[in-house]
Amino acid sequence: MKAPAMVIGLGSPDRGDDAVGAAVAERVRTVVGDGVEVITREDPTALVHAWHGRHVVVLVDSMISGVAPGTVTVRRAGTHDAPLPTYAFAAAGRGGSHAFGLAGAVELSRTLGTLPEHVAIVGVESTNFGHGPMSQPVAASIDDAVAAVCAELADAGVATKGSSTKASSTKGSSTKGSEAGTCV
Amino acid sequence: MTHQLKDGGQVLNVGMLARVEGEGGMHIEIKDRKVVSVKLNIFEPPRFYEGFLRGRKYTEPPDITARICGICPVAYQSASTEAMETICGVTTTPEIQLMRRLLYCGEWIESHALHIFMLHAPDFLGYDSVLEMAKDHADVVNMALRLKKAGNDVMELVGGRAIHPVNVKVGGFYRMPTLTELEGLVPDLERGLEDALAAVQLVATFNFPEMEQDYNYVSLRHPDWYPLERGTEIVATSGVRFPLAEVGEHIKEFHVEHSNALHASFDGEKYFVGPLARYSLNFDQLSPRCQEAALRAGLGQTCRNPFKSIIVRTVELAYAFEEALRIIDLWADGHAPSVPVAPRAGEGIGASEAPRGTIWHRYKIDSDGVILDAQIVPPTSQNQASIEADLRLAAQQWVDLDDHTLTHRCEAAIRNYDPCISCATHFLDLRIKRS
Repeated sequence: MKAPAMVIGLGSPDRGDDAVGAAVAERVRTVVGDGVEVITREDPTALVHAWHGRHVVVLVDSMISGVAPGTVTVRRAGTHDAPLPTYAFAAAGRGGSHAFGLAGAVELSRTLGTLPEHVAIVGVESTNFGHGPMSQPVAASIDDAVAAVCAELADAGVATKGSSTKASSTKGSSTKGSEAGTCV
Repeated sequence: MTHQLKDGGQVLNVGMLARVEGEGGMHIEIKDRKVVSVKLNIFEPPRFYEGFLRGRKYTEPPDITARICGICPVAYQSASTEAMETICGVTTTPEIQLMRRLLYCGEWIESHALHIFMLHAPDFLGYDSVLEMAKDHADVVNMALRLKKAGNDVMELVGGRAIHPVNVKVGGFYRMPTLTELEGLVPDLERGLEDALAAVQLVATFNFPEMEQDYNYVSLRHPDWYPLERGTEIVATSGVRFPLAEVGEHIKEFHVEHSNALHASFDGEKYFVGPLARYSLNFDQLSPRCQEAALRAGLGQTCRNPFKSIIVRTVELAYAFEEALRIIDLWADGHAPSVPVAPRAGEGIGASEAPRGTIWHRYKIDSDGVILDAQIVPPTSQNQASIEADLRLAAQQWVDLDDHTLTHRCEAAIRNYDPCISCATHFLDLRIKRS
């Protein structure tokens, strides 16, 4: 029997927009049912073994790419996908633990053979990593990010509590569906 | 990067020193094959923790100072709780002390495993980073990640969180883990102990540059055990020893122009804290199993080659696993998680052995428990002068090496200390100047 799909919220809950990974994961936990394991992690090196043996993983993290704050972007990073660009993890393992980020964990995992076949990274464009709460655009994007996670699970064929609901309506989905306990 | 100067001199410049915690710089100047200047530059602005502790309550330092470092928060929590309990005249229970020691074992495990295998081992195996090393040594990297996770799991259970634990308070803990929860850690800790003992022999096979210094090692010492979460006195290889309360009379901080982290002197001289110091001053307190592993790996009861710190750190890694298992084996449910600590005006010291070396805190509080003064002395800032001395010796000893190799050797000499520049304050970049 395959290990259940996993949703991982990555980031520090105390560092502004970096909290979005855990916030989205906690919301996803309430809507996906028992068929999906939901965890949160602060240390990216933990991913290399945490997802080992899984077939489908959806990971949520804050991201800086230059687009508008709050924008949700999905990137695939599984075994069949192209390696992440070198610049994204060049410092990994060279700058101490501070520079070991998600991209470093993906590529180290690929090298060690622990990378799952399906890995989707749901990134939420962020601006503020100081102590304190999330910025307004990022907090307002949580619903979109939850929808994106659910869409990725559905796309990978993972049955969730509300998977009868179409997964295509990711953009602009309301919290209503989440409150009703469905994966919108 | 190499710069040729107009006077024939030469500067080797590495923009960012790799594989240390935090960032900073180094400047080495060589003239006529003689090293004339060595500076460890820490130019990150001061972080003002001591300043903003003033006016806060005596119960707050464990949570506030833990935020100084994501790798060694327990070191700060242990030193600050001990200081406050000393000031307030409170002695906690043996069970609280045991649980603090277990939490500290978790920190040593995750910190040592990270440094040994992911930051330091690439120096000896000829890789720029653990990502490249993993292609040829996947089994070692997998083991390192397992070991680190075992440490994180201890931190998470006992501390409530793997990074910046939240379960620590002045007087003890908010909650004690149950025996059942603790026993859940045992399989991974047992495997970790076996892996760490094997790793001692593995790292001992590395090729070590020949370099020794006549360091004045300084460490905490406890009559009953190898120092982790606390000690009763400070000892030095110079023969000086004194109760912890007198540390401020012997260790003085001072500012040098090229570093934003305060330097420190021990009775007016440079000194060395960290695994090599702990080991050399407390070998007799290690478990028989770890002593045997160390001796089998070719270490004596003291070690003065800084490059061999990786072996000593691995011995300590094994010891932390062994201690964690011993404490869990002793544990029984039903102990109070904390003792009450009422404020009392006074001044006091707390100290512990962070993975990188002795850390001590001094606080002064008033009768309402308001902090009037705070002093935090982390290991990396105390080691700055020794790091510079090692760089001076290394650069001179290997002055005829090409610039690339010499630069790499000097970087490795810094990594011997597992410096946490974030703790010392923050930053590093590396320059060697020749003429």
